[in-house]
Amino acid sequence: MDFGQFISYIASGTIYTVGVTLIALPSGLLIGTMLALLYVYGGKTAARVMNLYSTIFRGIPPIVLLFILFFAVSKGINLSAFWAGSLSLGMVSSAYQMEIVRGALLSVSGDQLMGARAVGLGRLQAIRYVVLPQAVRLAIPPWSNEAAIVIKDSSLVYALGVPEILRKAQLIGASSQRYLLAYLSAAVIYFLLVFATTKLLNMLEKKLAIPSNP
Amino acid sequence: MKKRFLLVVALVLVAAMLVGCTSESTSLLDKIKDQKKVVVGTSADYPPYEYIDDAGNKTGFDIDLMTEIAKRMGVKLEWVDMPFDSLVAAVDSGKLDMSISCFNYDEERDKTVDFSEAYYTTEDAFVVSSAFTGSIVKPEDAANYKVGVQSGTVQDGWLTDNLVTPGLLPEANLSRYERVDQAALDLANGRIDVLMGDYVPVQALVAQNPDLLIVYNGVLSTGPINIVLPDGDVELKAEVDRIIKELQAEGFIDQLAVKYFSE
Repeated sequence: MDFGQFISYIASGTIYTVGVTLIALPSGLLIGTMLALLYVYGGKTAARVMNLYSTIFRGIPPIVLLFILFFAVSKGINLSAFWAGSLSLGMVSSAYQMEIVRGALLSVSGDQLMGARAVGLGRLQAIRYVVLPQAVRLAIPPWSNEAAIVIKDSSLVYALGVPEILRKAQLIGASSQRYLLAYLSAAVIYFLLVFATTKLLNMLEKKLAIPSNP
Repeated sequence: MKKRFLLVVALVLVAAMLVGCTSESTSLLDKIKDQKKVVVGTSADYPPYEYIDDAGNKTGFDIDLMTEIAKRMGVKLEWVDMPFDSLVAAVDSGKLDMSISCFNYDEERDKTVDFSEAYYTTEDAFVVSSAFTGSIVKPEDAANYKVGVQSGTVQDGWLTDNLVTPGLLPEANLSRYERVDQAALDLANGRIDVLMGDYVPVQALVAQNPDLLIVYNGVLSTGPINIVLPDGDVELKAEVDRIIKELQAEGFIDQLAVKYFSE
């Protein structure tokens, strides 16, 4: 096997790494944002429930959740390894993303909400048109951190047999006995994925920046 | 050669209690024959039993054997690759119909899954690097050195029960690796003095690393290897056992051993 074949075998796992990330990250964002809105604006009981959610999912190692969902819960609903892995990572990520969005929402001064109400906007309108646009901008830097974490955590689904980058590196490392090369190749691919994602989000952050408020 | 990862067991048990067990009344054999497909798990990172070839396809002793077994069952074979630690849990939870991955009989494993008749019997070996100056005449001599082993394997169990627990080998001198070839790297680099492993894969390691040599081999921890089957499925076990015996009688398994272990 030549070097090109070796690398392309490992790189062929990228599709699963990207796939898992593209399910986990957006589903985490969707759930996380909704929960954050409930946390901040939903009253005391909602805040308590959300706090509990966040504590639980941030307190369980992702791989443990992965095993529970794949080997136990999906006994009845026959979830594939890919989906069980992606959804578990999405759940864990939703807790972190909720905290990111919550932090961003709270960073927008409460006076603005009152001001918006004073000029006649409804509560939902005030959140939608005044608070959220600012919060989104504030959330991008910490969110790009979370995106990097999810890309790297996607390697955990190897434990369920999803043939992503890490598992491919293990397999070819075992058959060729060239472990260092296999893991280094995997590291380079992960690095490039994270690097590209972070760059893109940096560009987005610059593009969305409010000119008068750098 | 390897033992299931206790964490997985614990998790599955706890989660199974939470979720409630589903009962399966009919034999999996009927389902396999109906769908004309058997789903078999393996951890394809353990040459020469199971590994990938240059084209990325699964190959090895177990792979060829299972291919023949599926052929004789008259069904299609669908492989699922999974890390070794996850395989028993996957059979137990019904994700796999069976698993072949150089499994030894093990009491702990037997509580949640069944074992087929043994299809082959293997030995253990001690490996050192060419720079090693000590001597290992009997297996217990390994206690005088820094020892490496693949974590969770039956060799790990043997070292723990026979050397560490009696106080012959300090716990600090036993390094447990996720994979046997990681241990081989450390052996070549001098971080450990002796590596204990399964004789057949260890021969392959030594063949690829000219600096390593086998100083002892014999049946210690290891013995017969079996196919892992769902718990209590008598019909499926009977069918698999029947084919294994058939293949042994025909000399098919010996031919595979020659092909892959060059003994």
